[in-house]
Amino acid sequence: MKEMLSRVSGSGAQPATGSVQRDLGGAVLAFAAAAVVGNWVEEFTAFEWSLWAVQAILALSLTLVWGYGGIFSLGQAAIYGIGGYTYGFWAINLADNTGESLTAVLAAVVVGAVFAALLGYFMFYGNVTDVYVAIITLATSLVLFAFVNSTSGRAYRIGDAPFGGYNGMPRIPRLTWRLPGGESHELTRTQFLLFCVAAGLLIAVLIRVLSRRPFGRIAVALQHNELRTGLLGYDVRWHKLAVFTLGGAIAAFAGALFAAWGRFMSPPVFSLTPAALVVIWVLVGGRSSVSGAFVGVLVVKGFSSWFGGASGDNEPIVLGVILVLIVLLLPGGVVTNLSRLRQWAQSRISPSADTLGLDAETVDHTPEPYRAAPTPQDAPRTARLIATEAVTKRYGGLAAVDAVTLEFPRGVSCLIGPNGAGKSTLLDLLSGRQRPTAGAVTLDGQDLTRREPFLRARGGVGTKLQVASIYESLTVRENLWLACYAMPRDPEEADRRVAGLLDWLDLRDEAERPAGTLSHGKKQWLEIGMVVSTDPSVVLLDEPTAGMTREETARTANLVRELGETASVIVVEHDMDFVRQLDAPITVLHMGSMFVQGTFEELSGDDRVIDIYLGAHHGNGGPADDRGSAPSGPVDADSEAADGASTSRGSADADA
Amino acid sequence: MAPDRLFNLGFDLASTISILALVSLGLAVIFGMRGVINLAHGEFIMLGAFATLTGVRSGLNTWMAMAVAAAAVGLFGIVVERLIIRHLYGRLADTMLATWGLSLIMVQAVQNRYGSVTEGIPVPVGNFTVGEFSMSKYNFVLISAAAVGVLATYTIMRRTRYGLLARAATQSETMAEGLGVNTSGVNMWTFGLGSALAGAAGALLAPVVGVIPTMGQTFVARAFMTVIVGGPAFVAGTVSASGLLGFIENVGTNWFTPVIGQAMLLMAAIVILRFLPQGLTGTRLRR
Repeated sequence: MKEMLSRVSGSGAQPATGSVQRDLGGAVLAFAAAAVVGNWVEEFTAFEWSLWAVQAILALSLTLVWGYGGIFSLGQAAIYGIGGYTYGFWAINLADNTGESLTAVLAAVVVGAVFAALLGYFMFYGNVTDVYVAIITLATSLVLFAFVNSTSGRAYRIGDAPFGGYNGMPRIPRLTWRLPGGESHELTRTQFLLFCVAAGLLIAVLIRVLSRRPFGRIAVALQHNELRTGLLGYDVRWHKLAVFTLGGAIAAFAGALFAAWGRFMSPPVFSLTPAALVVIWVLVGGRSSVSGAFVGVLVVKGFSSWFGGASGDNEPIVLGVILVLIVLLLPGGVVTNLSRLRQWAQSRISPSADTLGLDAETVDHTPEPYRAAPTPQDAPRTARLIATEAVTKRYGGLAAVDAVTLEFPRGVSCLIGPNGAGKSTLLDLLSGRQRPTAGAVTLDGQDLTRREPFLRARGGVGTKLQVASIYESLTVRENLWLACYAMPRDPEEADRRVAGLLDWLDLRDEAERPAGTLSHGKKQWLEIGMVVSTDPSVVLLDEPTAGMTREETARTANLVRELGETASVIVVEHDMDFVRQLDAPITVLHMGSMFVQGTFEELSGDDRVIDIYLGAHHGNGGPADDRGSAPSGPVDADSEAADGASTSRGSADADA
Repeated sequence: MAPDRLFNLGFDLASTISILALVSLGLAVIFGMRGVINLAHGEFIMLGAFATLTGVRSGLNTWMAMAVAAAAVGLFGIVVERLIIRHLYGRLADTMLATWGLSLIMVQAVQNRYGSVTEGIPVPVGNFTVGEFSMSKYNFVLISAAAVGVLATYTIMRRTRYGLLARAATQSETMAEGLGVNTSGVNMWTFGLGSALAGAAGALLAPVVGVIPTMGQTFVARAFMTVIVGGPAFVAGTVSASGLLGFIENVGTNWFTPVIGQAMLLMAAIVILRFLPQGLTGTRLRR
């Protein structure tokens, strides 16, 4: 799995072993260099440099939130401002009494984290998606800007510390520390520089370490495919909230250091320019590279003082031009592109130096046959009874599913019906992707109707969607790892099971390929493999064999039958050959209602069934022919929704 | 409550709502039709205000200057679309970043040209009195302009050839292309229309707000929240969200301060999105 992170961290080729030590070593070296240089240069230079270190910490907060967490926050500078003001209030009021201001830094971090958590709660638990997150965070900054600007009156103060409105908050104490009962020491400018550098490097190492932990891997996963991550049983909202809160804490920490550095806070910290600046640093450096945060700050600083004129008046123009040019010409950022260049050069020298392959060896030395049976630590999972009670789903006036009452006992059950019969909608109601308009969904008598999809997944409901939902840009191995880690939550166990699964699914040769490069059928197969590896007791398969070759279809039929021995498997299919191979009880849906039930033999001789198929298609070929034709009616809604996370775009209609 | 007081409150509320609708409409068109968030929207408004200022100073009649300003900003939008936006459709975050860069450039460029002193043009119409309250007739202009803007946008989208093609390109770009629609040209006009609406908003606001290079920031947060809260059916969305958020802002402004009003608007928007992530008009769409 390290390959996933090395790719995400953007630093390119990364040895498989000793990564933490290596990062720490690098950090110590960088710190030593800073210590030597910092002691050598003039105090004023050290003073100037500490601002860069502070800004790099701010950039790191966005690297974490955006680069690793995929949350496009434009509010990091605002949280930085909140941290700065909090430090100011705390230090001005208490530093005289306590003789130190480190607690003020702590207070700033706490306030920043709480603010981020509150804002994050409303955004992520409201399922607000990427762009909206950007706008809400930006709008929040602007409102804070307006608010702090208006606080110039004497009424706006906390203790001895005035807000100061547009005049700003002056006389903020420097960073000071004191041992209990000892003297209080104010940090010299050189000491402050070293403190900031050390803090920045430590945070960078922390982000790297975190990104290698399952927590970081899940963050990466949800960045690539939120829908699948939820269906595997991960709580997407909680993960985003956690990442955003942590990022808020880091930004507020940087803000506290900024206040201690300049001894002054003023409202423009909440305006658009600083907010843009953070994004530009991270963009220039590469949004998913921790070293990029440091590089970005330095490069942008250099650029804007080079072109912006001595007074810095034209800095916004320079920044704006950088922003436009990067987006148009260099979307990955400087560091990312440099490392790509290096990888390219390396591959020219020795084509076999594939870091992904190296990593595979270290993980794979204990392959173990995959057991479809439940794992020992799980209590043996018995198949569970998923059922619907008069469940109805309406879209406007149209009932896609109309008062359907069905029970799916252990074993395989097939759902068939012409296009628009409501099959996929019914599966969505079972998996929780849609909420019914009326009626209930139960699992062993427990009401599931209002339960989130990820909780259903944890309860043992595995879902394969109509359009294969996998992590296209992650490798096959990474896809499987994420599925295997979902339930036992044990990284080593997951590594072991992935090795077995790769053999069992016969995907070993493709293990290190991005899943998006697989054939259509293999993608389906991989997704089924991912669903199976969560050890579900209820399996929902929506058109599992679409795009598969004949052999793949036959293998899938075997797999589904095998699954049916331990689980309740519900299969929606159009391919009548496949349905025949499954040899399972069939339910025919028509116009959203249960039409008839029976075995394949019974139904294939049933005139009514033939009628609804042919009637719906006006003699347009058999039922197996309609795959690939644009679905109409309610199924339309399913295939739109199957785009999953990308549904956020404001698709328009100017009223109706 | 005395009837004149009541009228004053209602008139004030209608003005707030109209301003909100005016500053949001252009953004809503571009976002609704092309899924592009124009972070320079506030600066397009600012540009409209400065263009009006320039027109009035060079001797144009105020209303003429406003019309010219709206057209000029529309033209500017078309240039921006051809140079930058056109390369970035479908890359939401990137369009935001590029337009953000544009906004930084625009603010500084206007500042270099005009300085950062607050400018203004005289209000072209006088006041009227109801009971004890004196109110500006210009607010009638704003209210009617908002109504005309909304109706015109609706008509353009629903009743013209361009509107049909634009909606087709929104629903399925490939399909529209397959049917022979020049989607690139349609996109250009859509962006131009949205920009012209932003320019018109700036022009109309020029007499009543301080015209400064950073004035865009004052409106942009509110405009974004209105568009998001409005949701996918952008004409109905803009109207309903302006109504709701304008009411909340108006109450906050009257009871406390304008800043509190803005903060209340933002908080209300965030809470609404927590429960209606697709916005006010999102629920009727299938998801």
